[in-house]
Amino acid sequence: MVDEKKLREKAKEVLAREDVRRLIGWKRGTYGYESAPAVLKDASEADELIFDPTCVQNPASFITLEEKLPVPRGQDPDTRKVAVLVKGCDSRAVVQQLVEKAYDRDSVIVLGVPCTGVVDRRKAAKMFGDTSEPVLIKEEGDKFVFTIDGETREGSKAELLADKCVRCRFPNPLIYDELVADEVAVWGADEFADVDEFAKMSPPEKWKFWEEQFSKCIRCYSCRNVCPMCYCLECVVTKQKPQWTRRSTDVSENTAYHIQRAWHLSGRCIECGECERVCPVDIPITTLNRKMTRDVKEMFSYEPGVDVEAEPLLSCYNPQDPEEYIM
Amino acid sequence: MMDESNPYLPYIVNIEDAWYETPVGDRAVKTFKVNFQDEKVWDTWSHKPGNCAMVGRLGIGESMFCISSSPTEEGYLRFSIMQAGKVTSALHDLEAGDTMTVRGPLGNSFPMEEWEGKNIVSIGGGIGQAPLRPVINYVRANKDKYGTLSVLYGARTSDLHCFKSEFQEYQEEGTECHLAIDIEEEGWKNFVGFVPDLLLDVAPSAENTIAVTCGPPILIKFVTQGLEKLGFTADQIYTTLEERMKCGIGKCGRCNVGSLYVCKDGPVFSYATLKEIPEAFA
Amino acid sequence: MGDFKFAKDKLAEVVGALKDYEVFAPAAVGDVLRFKEVEDASSVSFDFKNTNVPPKELMFPETETLFKFRVGQTDIEPAVPDESKKRLVFGIRPCDAMAYTIVEKLYSWDYPDPYFEKRRESSVLFGLACSEPVPNCFCTSLGGGPGSEQGLDALMFDLGETVYVKTITDAGDAVAKAMGLEAAADAEKKAAAAQEKEALAKIKRTIDTTGIPEKLPSLYDHPFWEQFSDRCLSCGICTFLCPTCHCFDIQDEVEAFNGRRARMWDTCMFPEYTLHTSGHNPRPTRKERTRNRISHKYSYFPEKFDVIACVGCGRCINYCPVNIDILDILEKSKQAEAKEAKTA
Repeated sequence: MVDEKKLREKAKEVLAREDVRRLIGWKRGTYGYESAPAVLKDASEADELIFDPTCVQNPASFITLEEKLPVPRGQDPDTRKVAVLVKGCDSRAVVQQLVEKAYDRDSVIVLGVPCTGVVDRRKAAKMFGDTSEPVLIKEEGDKFVFTIDGETREGSKAELLADKCVRCRFPNPLIYDELVADEVAVWGADEFADVDEFAKMSPPEKWKFWEEQFSKCIRCYSCRNVCPMCYCLECVVTKQKPQWTRRSTDVSENTAYHIQRAWHLSGRCIECGECERVCPVDIPITTLNRKMTRDVKEMFSYEPGVDVEAEPLLSCYNPQDPEEYIM
Repeated sequence: MMDESNPYLPYIVNIEDAWYETPVGDRAVKTFKVNFQDEKVWDTWSHKPGNCAMVGRLGIGESMFCISSSPTEEGYLRFSIMQAGKVTSALHDLEAGDTMTVRGPLGNSFPMEEWEGKNIVSIGGGIGQAPLRPVINYVRANKDKYGTLSVLYGARTSDLHCFKSEFQEYQEEGTECHLAIDIEEEGWKNFVGFVPDLLLDVAPSAENTIAVTCGPPILIKFVTQGLEKLGFTADQIYTTLEERMKCGIGKCGRCNVGSLYVCKDGPVFSYATLKEIPEAFA
Repeated sequence: MGDFKFAKDKLAEVVGALKDYEVFAPAAVGDVLRFKEVEDASSVSFDFKNTNVPPKELMFPETETLFKFRVGQTDIEPAVPDESKKRLVFGIRPCDAMAYTIVEKLYSWDYPDPYFEKRRESSVLFGLACSEPVPNCFCTSLGGGPGSEQGLDALMFDLGETVYVKTITDAGDAVAKAMGLEAAADAEKKAAAAQEKEALAKIKRTIDTTGIPEKLPSLYDHPFWEQFSDRCLSCGICTFLCPTCHCFDIQDEVEAFNGRRARMWDTCMFPEYTLHTSGHNPRPTRKERTRNRISHKYSYFPEKFDVIACVGCGRCINYCPVNIDILDILEKSKQAEAKEAKTA
């Protein structure tokens, strides 16, 4: 169990440091079953921080989202650190960002938060309905206890946990400068059962499935923007000179976008599931990414976001790589 | 517009002549002298100094450019285009005999009627001279309606001056001309320095005068400051802005500066208007 | 105009009765609702709160062709919608219909937009009054309401077994008659009024917009924007799902020898929206873009067109993945002390 008071004290301590510019965590949302990301600049704001099963967002996404504008002449760049609270899955993003040298290790302070799972708001809304009030969620044994509009409701964890949490193998952060709570026991295992299930469809069935899904896509790029691994300054999809993917939203261009992104994430996706959570038209994006993740594991025995000393899979060359043609 | 009921449809124009104002290469400026493929368009066409048009090529796209010729130059339109990106590079590939698309006239214009009786000072930098050229030519063609005309113009090097031959014409007519380049050059006998410095050197009188300026945002900013130092009030200073544009008719949303759409409420604005808008000098 | 009614279990017949109309109604793909052309009248249902994607896409599609051309040739073939095709938008919520009245002001500003106008003019809107507001709906704060008639040709009230239809315009009246609806009695009218009253009481979120349009420009340099922009993802969700957002990009597309100029939804939240070819971007960070979006809706648009460009449908709040809540922003803007805005 995370003691929120301890978490806030630790955050306050870190934010008060002169060499820390901001701290990213979670705070109470204005409504519903999810928290809001908190980007704090002053120690006095630390009391806003929370940690409970509403804390779905991945704070590591915000490390790379911050714009770095050119520094005006005569001014020094702000080299202060960014502190970030991370759950287990979030910490994999930090690991992978470091593996790819997105930033230096010493430019971030990682506060690890061992986690026992977050609630999927869609599942909660189906069970309890929508609300315009913030919902409080507490974990009690194998149940979640909700306070919705003043009323107490209960549901089983099994039915309400986000899918990624059900199979979570990394509830404890894999990288941290400090842990703000005790580590928890691992409960999940991942045999890629969902990928196998999907693979049972015939190619025409799969094509039809994806055609239906991608024709919903409105190209909001929320999946890309929230992804902690999508931090290219110029994304190939929005490039105009030359233009690789058109902006028109027909199923062909939408498919090209999603396939491009899945390829660009192979060996890099750390399965935080944010892409699927944010999609306003419910495209099952993780289904694509999980297939790549499984293939990468089988072909290269590689899992991203686990070992900060590892090398990025597709940037490195190993004579044992299973590609007959090029050799 | 080609079709009163559909402002998205462009005219097709033939390029009568095309030439480079500056040395060929990246950021080169090329002038196009064009005429409508359908001569009848002239019957309904009318534009004023300051008006713009979306110029482009089918299959590539359009970008907004000022109409660089005065309505007093009859029978053709001129556009002076700097090569910078996708559309402009495609336009630079065109020569006399080719076609391009023109959609216009768009935007507002310099209030030439309001300025009658006043002295006009034009202060331009680089490609910023393109929208000032129609103002200058309009005043020259209506000499008796205006006071004195002075033209201040600078570019980084003498090579990069646009409309070189025309400045000679202005001087021969008696229009005051002050040219500048940023750094010393062998053979250059005129002012050396940035345009805002040229302005303070020339120090035109603010008495009954309108100042029109155009150039990179930084030039507009410092020229405006300089003009104020010289006693010009905000409503005596006019400029023409640019932003990324797509529709040119105030609908696609992107060119707004505060509540003003540069393509429609502008691109011509007085400094008095821009002063009130915090976003104006971003 | 007129008062009509029909039995709800006859919904499919009523919709099916219109032979010469293209009927659009909310249709589901999984849990996602969007307005689509009705193929099977029996699929039409009133059992929904509101669509994910607003019906703005019926007047202003995600992507549409402006004109076609052939590579190397100069003939232009406009692709303006055929206004002779009559359309019925069935089950549009009052907020989304009111949104059309707002967007129309821009689309008809000096230059006509024939693509939007032809679609709008050929569409008859049969609204569905809300009995249960969407969470985070705040339509009443913007002059709308669960029974608002703005922009509608007719307004339907789902009373359970009966549907009361109030026709508002001649076009609505004509469609009601073509559907073969019977006349409604006082009982239905009273029940509808009662439903509206109940629905109004259920709206939880409100904001007093007095003074906001005038105050926002003075908050240009205020740091309060960063509270929200710091977590913004710069995605297009709030804008694409907003019924009053109307910005678009124009792109030329060429395939072999066929080309078209198309327009598609664009969003001021993308950095590329205002990116100059020179590389200069007047809104380089999320702070400028967030500030611009809110200022545009609540200050710049009302300055030009006398109406706030928001109908309080709540979609931006419900779908923003990082809980940027426009009501939160507006409340904070009211509390923020205006400092002198920095001018040049």
